[in-house]
Amino acid sequence: MQSRSISLALLWVCLFLGGGNLLAQDLLTVSGTVSDAEGPLIGATVAVKGTTQGTVTDVDGVFTLEGVDPTDSLQVTYVGYTPRTLAVAGQTNFTINLSENISNLGEVVVIGYQEVKRSDLTGATAVVPAEQINKTVSNSLAESLQGLASGITVRNGGAPGAGAVIEIRGAASFVNTNPLYVIDGMIADANVTFNNNDIESVQILKDASAAAIYGSRAANGVIIITTKSGRKGPIRPALSVTTGIQQIPRRWDVMDAAGFAALQRTSYENSGLEPPASVAADFDPTIDTDWQDEVIRTGSTLDANLSASGGSDNLKYFVSGSHFRNEGVIIGRGFNRTAFRVNSTLDLGRITIGENLVLTNNNIRQPLGGFDTGNPFYDMVTMLPVIPVRGDRYISDTNPGGWGIGTVDAVSYAKNQVAVTDLLREKINFLKLIGNAYVQVELVKGLRYKFNVGLENSDDFSKGLRRYGVTQFNAAVRPSSIQDNRSQFSSLLMEHTLNFDRTFGNHALSAVIGTSDQQTKRNYTFASRSDIVESGGDPFEQINSATGESLAEGGVTTDYRTIGFLGRVNYNYAQKYYLTLTGRVDQDSRFSRDNRTGVFPSIAGSWRISKEDFFRVPWIDDLKFNASYGTLGIVTLGSWDWRGTINNNPRAILGTVQVGAYQAGLVNPDLRWENRKSQNYGVEAAFLDYRLTLSANYYDILSEDALVTNLPIATYLGNLGGSPPVNAGSIRNTGFEFEANYRQQLDRLQFNIGFNLTTINNTVQAVGNRGDGIDYIQTGLTRSRVGEPLGEWYLLQTDGIFQNQSEIDAHAVEGNLIQPFARPGDIRYVDVNGDGQITDQDRSFTGESPWPSLQLGSQLGLSYANFDVSAQIIGIFGNTLYNSVRSQLDGYQNTNFRSDVNPWTPDNTNTDDPRIGIATNDQGLVDNARGNTDRWLEDGSYLRLRNLQIGYTLPDAALDRLSISNLRVYVTGQNLLTLTKYTGLDPDVQGNGILERGVDNGNWPSSRIVSLGLNLNF
Amino acid sequence: MNRFPLYLLLFVLTFASCADELEIINPNQITNDSFWQDETDAVQGINAAYSTLHRTGFSRWQPMLYDVRADVGTSNSPWSELANALNNFIQPNSNFGPMTDVYADNYVGIFRANQVIANVPGIEMDENLKARVLGEAHFFRGMHYYHLASLWGNVPLQLTPSSPNDLPPTSSEAEVWEQVIADLDYAAANLPLQYGPDDVGRITRGGALALLAKAYMQNGRYAEAVDALDFFFTGEGADLYDLTSNYADNFSALTEFNVESVLEWGYADNPLEFTDQDTQTPNHNYGTSIAQFYAPPGIGFADAEALRWVVGEFEEETTTDGSRDPRLAATYLYDHTDPAGPEASIVYGTPWIDRYGDSDRVFFRKFLNDDYKNEEGFRSPNNYRFIRFADVLLMYAESLNAIGRTSEAYAYVDRVRERAGLPPLSEVRPGLDADAFLEQIKHERLTELTGEGHRFNDLKRWGDLGPGLADRDPGFANYQVGKHGLLPIPQRDLDINPNLVQNPNW
Repeated sequence: MQSRSISLALLWVCLFLGGGNLLAQDLLTVSGTVSDAEGPLIGATVAVKGTTQGTVTDVDGVFTLEGVDPTDSLQVTYVGYTPRTLAVAGQTNFTINLSENISNLGEVVVIGYQEVKRSDLTGATAVVPAEQINKTVSNSLAESLQGLASGITVRNGGAPGAGAVIEIRGAASFVNTNPLYVIDGMIADANVTFNNNDIESVQILKDASAAAIYGSRAANGVIIITTKSGRKGPIRPALSVTTGIQQIPRRWDVMDAAGFAALQRTSYENSGLEPPASVAADFDPTIDTDWQDEVIRTGSTLDANLSASGGSDNLKYFVSGSHFRNEGVIIGRGFNRTAFRVNSTLDLGRITIGENLVLTNNNIRQPLGGFDTGNPFYDMVTMLPVIPVRGDRYISDTNPGGWGIGTVDAVSYAKNQVAVTDLLREKINFLKLIGNAYVQVELVKGLRYKFNVGLENSDDFSKGLRRYGVTQFNAAVRPSSIQDNRSQFSSLLMEHTLNFDRTFGNHALSAVIGTSDQQTKRNYTFASRSDIVESGGDPFEQINSATGESLAEGGVTTDYRTIGFLGRVNYNYAQKYYLTLTGRVDQDSRFSRDNRTGVFPSIAGSWRISKEDFFRVPWIDDLKFNASYGTLGIVTLGSWDWRGTINNNPRAILGTVQVGAYQAGLVNPDLRWENRKSQNYGVEAAFLDYRLTLSANYYDILSEDALVTNLPIATYLGNLGGSPPVNAGSIRNTGFEFEANYRQQLDRLQFNIGFNLTTINNTVQAVGNRGDGIDYIQTGLTRSRVGEPLGEWYLLQTDGIFQNQSEIDAHAVEGNLIQPFARPGDIRYVDVNGDGQITDQDRSFTGESPWPSLQLGSQLGLSYANFDVSAQIIGIFGNTLYNSVRSQLDGYQNTNFRSDVNPWTPDNTNTDDPRIGIATNDQGLVDNARGNTDRWLEDGSYLRLRNLQIGYTLPDAALDRLSISNLRVYVTGQNLLTLTKYTGLDPDVQGNGILERGVDNGNWPSSRIVSLGLNLNF
Repeated sequence: MNRFPLYLLLFVLTFASCADELEIINPNQITNDSFWQDETDAVQGINAAYSTLHRTGFSRWQPMLYDVRADVGTSNSPWSELANALNNFIQPNSNFGPMTDVYADNYVGIFRANQVIANVPGIEMDENLKARVLGEAHFFRGMHYYHLASLWGNVPLQLTPSSPNDLPPTSSEAEVWEQVIADLDYAAANLPLQYGPDDVGRITRGGALALLAKAYMQNGRYAEAVDALDFFFTGEGADLYDLTSNYADNFSALTEFNVESVLEWGYADNPLEFTDQDTQTPNHNYGTSIAQFYAPPGIGFADAEALRWVVGEFEEETTTDGSRDPRLAATYLYDHTDPAGPEASIVYGTPWIDRYGDSDRVFFRKFLNDDYKNEEGFRSPNNYRFIRFADVLLMYAESLNAIGRTSEAYAYVDRVRERAGLPPLSEVRPGLDADAFLEQIKHERLTELTGEGHRFNDLKRWGDLGPGLADRDPGFANYQVGKHGLLPIPQRDLDINPNLVQNPNW
């Protein structure tokens, strides 16, 4: 309603302003053509300035106006182009050239199987320029996109080779919120194996109209990546190198050995126990291990790219090679990627042949994951400073390396992370080929047939090495072993499309129909042998070198096929009225025959009011309203989830080991597509000669039949291997997006400011039939209840600290103490259900949300003469995080302590920290350390200077002699400044899956990176 | 443009021909529909039920619940939540992992048994084998409900293969016990007396009857218990079982499935295992981690340990040749495992005094492997002897006594005492009345069976659970009669199924 009344008001304003006067004089008939550098412009508006008189150019760019006063001026406008005003001055024939304006509205945007001008978009599509993406040093594209467009939410992974979590317009699935990536027409994941430097442009399809052409894959939005390609001209080599250092911006402030020992003594004494010798009689002041120092290091990054491009009239080519390297900020972790890319197009008149090939070789080095690995972000904080990294006294049968670990005397269950990197090693290699090749034939004018074959192939190999020995107190030792895991992934896409593109007078019509057939497969082989051989402290890494027992596993984890029929029609009348109809029908092998087919239609329309004759608002260059509605789908299943299978892994240990087999996991045969009903209402406007562009969108996306796989399934069913998925959920995301860009060029000074704002209101609509009165899904610390957002905190509520026994006595129901084990100094919990005890029944919604209420992004750019400065700022507001590491520290048990911990004592009552003691046989202390309470929630809002870059372009004069066309050097600081109240290492937390998005489970923080770079073009 | 319809036709044809291309066979596993066809399927089906026995909840936590929640065990685990739940009857979180693991694994076993019970009758196969397989399945279902009835009491009864939306009501403790008895009765009627060497460890008729007798006894139905146990003395089982001459043979991985074994869960060491999850891969853990969790600090986690007062029970009598009851050293690792004291008591290769100085802690020994190695791990191959013939003897004696046949009962107690070298009860304490005899049985069961996972049910059966036990085990100070006899039903199930009710006072 609101947007409608605004448009009505604008209409009135326009009519009022547009009212002109007519005076008759000696009138002329003028005509002419309007064109740009490429040729005639169809549908350009030619108006007599100050009147309502006007026309549009025809298919040849020709216009004719009658009754023009010789003293009038002609105003020629075309969306995306700088308007021109020409005095008639008696002239009757005009040749008018327009040039594209600063707004980029004239640029071509890839929308999937078609390209349209940005000004002709009807759906919600964001375009992110490559230059912004490449300002940051990042592992993945998703990480680089953080803050650069409205409607997207990115949470970083941090670790070398780790991807980021990206959501477009909220989370509408319980299972999968990953968008679809389309790289040069190939549907393939742009994960860490993808080199951002190859990107020419990125478009993000956010609504149903934009994304429906990808139908059954598009429900989470689509990110279309167009990579760089060659242009006509001589060979153009280019080189860019960026190298930097990487640091963890913040550390935990925990105690040193003396401080720890003192407080640990107090803790034992408070509990009437004798302190262990490690902090008393045997306290050794020479051991004072700062475990953070031992585990954290200064990382490094290197990103080098070399490319060459060029072409003739018929052949254009682009080749590039790149190397990216990241030595992580935590010991034992690193990532590198070497990529090679080639693409070319061969133009043979009516036939065009082209291809795109990328070969990447990616290596990750990290500790082998498993029970002994732990998480350094917990362990380096909780491990006791009285334990050395190594020591002779720790040498034993199970700890031959003498790694410092907890003992009976200094109990800690933290893993020694230095030992972890020594004993547990993993090298992962992804050798990946992504590419496509196509042939396109122009059948008749405006009608093109294209056959496109895409391929993604990945050979993945991980080698794990487990050396003999424990990493943790009391751990059971396992045999040393070598493990090889090889996996092969392939995805083959075959598409036939027919494109039609014609204009008939004011009618512009473009359409595409086609078929798409994709087969995706993954298999794996795993082999391992125990008892490795070492020589001089170096382990042999080949299976054949080991001497123990062997095992082998293998299988096909994925094998599915999706066949689709797609079509879209774009129609516009004089760039004024737009209609887009899109549809896709997909069939997918991951469903039973009855549920296999999905239909995904959408419709969108736009009205460019600024081209209406009655609209004469000089200060508005462009004003367009968009609306769309449609259905999208997504498959969130494994290849055979709908079919119950027999599990033959169980073994009966009898006189012989015998095979057991049965149906271990329950299945739901009636699995269907997840659907999204998506609506979008938007307005786009340009002002100040297109220097200022604004766009605003309101969206409403309702997911239906959302698959719920992580439904807590009743224990009494005896099900194993995860709960059977059910199409039972529904989630609505609504929100508002706003983007503004201002650009100006003043002589040698250029600047631009981009700003975007996103709100997401997420509401669970249905969770399926969970039984009478059960309208929620409980997941660990959160609950997703109908009417509330996904995964809201559902915890016990604390209410300060009991200051004395009488407060404990007063916390009672009918004379019975609610917390009978509490002592003064303990946490008071709210007995929400009033049953006189604190149980899980007292959990409730805390009223705080892991969802941000507002997300902001801003990009600033400024250049003067040869200097340029740019900045990216992101802000996340209104969310709450669960600080799990702090919950361990402040649980006081078997852990180091925060330096500023201030435990309650009868003499020290003005504190938020409860009394300290040893919890065994003291339920009061156990209760204080409870995990599922609001005590560990913290404000997760932050404002971050994500990137700051200062560059200098060397003057041409200095370069000409070296035949260098351009040389720019720059220094970049990433994550230099973060304003937050969060006490963990980083408020940019990926969380624990979709439903516990705010849980900081020792999240790897975003690094601070300071780098130097060089761009060189010949 | 005139070629347009042709292309359209091409698309439609391509599209229409897809149907079969989208039938992609799962090459990894066969589907449900193609299973349960023959004898092999039936046997593999029941084998899956045996696999439950080495799952974590069943093999690690369950025995611990029976001993530590009783008065013979305690926990000084640094995992305070565990110590409090196991020993101190403080469990604010009904979803607490170790407890729900036990609950869950029993239902995993029930799901496995139910699939056999539902599918095997339709298979055309050897009728004797079919009867056996169904007997085994009923045994497993009954055995799992036995544990659920003992520990949780009022639980839902799943008697057919589960489907995702089953919302059964809570059945009362009595109803669950009825199911236990019905299933074990069926099993006893269909199971063979013995198996060949490849199948050693399969459930026998004797095994089913011994557990059936236990179920009767827990319900005070001693006459029916006697009827069931007659099998071992006057029935077909009379010549099948005996006591081992060496008591400690019942707790060693080197002397498994011996003559005393009535119900024994087979475990093995699979050195390459990387998971406890028995459905994830064939390379899962075939052993039990209980040794790791019971072994003293520095070797294992010592999450469960013994209380010293029981040592006194062993010291009440000496053997006929004047030495200490040999069962004491087999039962505990402590400073006097060797009567000569802490210097001579060897704990995993190292004298007690060197490891623990003058500590007076006592550790359960029966599940450990210190007789042949100096470390423990998560995959102890040491079989769990759930019901030994010695237990059957004491059960028989207790049941006979309970139905007024005290004098007959003496002989069976004497067999147990004789193996330990103690003088016959009929000589040292003849003519006890029923009450006194029961007290004697309580003593005999302590010295013979402590640390084998029976004590909680023994105390429950005798009505001895209560805060009065706090003198022996301070954890019992928190014991509330009418509450702590049963564990809380996991909240996650209550959250899902509104037809379930929580146990009283939880």
